[in-house]
Amino acid sequence: MSVKASTEHLAEVRDFVAAHAQNIGLSQKDISEIRLAVDEAYTNIIKHAYKNDPAKQVSIEIGSDNSKLWISLMDHGRSFDPKKYSEPDLIKRIKQKKRGGMGVYLIKKLMDQVQYNRKGTTNEIRMVKNL
Amino acid sequence: MSFNTSERYNSVVIEFKGNVMGGPDAVSLNEKLHELIDDGKTNIVVDLGKVKFMNSSGLGMLIGALTTMRKAGGDLRIANATDKIESLLIVTKLITVFKHFKSVEEAAESFQEN
Repeated sequence: MSVKASTEHLAEVRDFVAAHAQNIGLSQKDISEIRLAVDEAYTNIIKHAYKNDPAKQVSIEIGSDNSKLWISLMDHGRSFDPKKYSEPDLIKRIKQKKRGGMGVYLIKKLMDQVQYNRKGTTNEIRMVKNL
Repeated sequence: MSFNTSERYNSVVIEFKGNVMGGPDAVSLNEKLHELIDDGKTNIVVDLGKVKFMNSSGLGMLIGALTTMRKAGGDLRIANATDKIESLLIVTKLITVFKHFKSVEEAAESFQEN
């Protein structure tokens, strides 16, 4: 599916991946983890790759085989450099009253594998859940 | 998200409903909390039983609310978290930041002990 980069479409994006996960018989726990991971990845694209420009487009692909389910989100905005990411100390951040930084952390905890790829002007985050 | 408030013992119970995702909800929650602080009500129980979905922005809103209440000399305690929300709090280690209770009743009673 392809949607504009706006939080208006968050529920639609979550439902799209949840429907596929449901069809292949994933548990409710796995489905809710996937919903949340996709929500965070899509939100990060809206905020960071496109800086809240709702005219921009995000493509979402989902697929599965016997051993895994994968979801890719693609954008043409600013890329995320995973090398510059370090796992935040969330408790310390709260004490320092810093917001944010939790999305990527959650995605990594909820999914079994997370990859960031850049091909030309396309950024891809590919998330894999082992079945 | 929508929320409604009620009072139990010497605490105010705020029941969250629907999708907790921060944004404009964080503004209305913050306004409500400041009204309560102005009325001298600083013991808050957040009932999470009817939350369908929560993301990191929603968690951020909850942390902001906790900070606001602790600064005002009170506390914000959570109750009734579903398994899904509880596992989110565990994954993010936020479970150690909030005092959390199985029921609204227990959370409200915990303020009686102060």
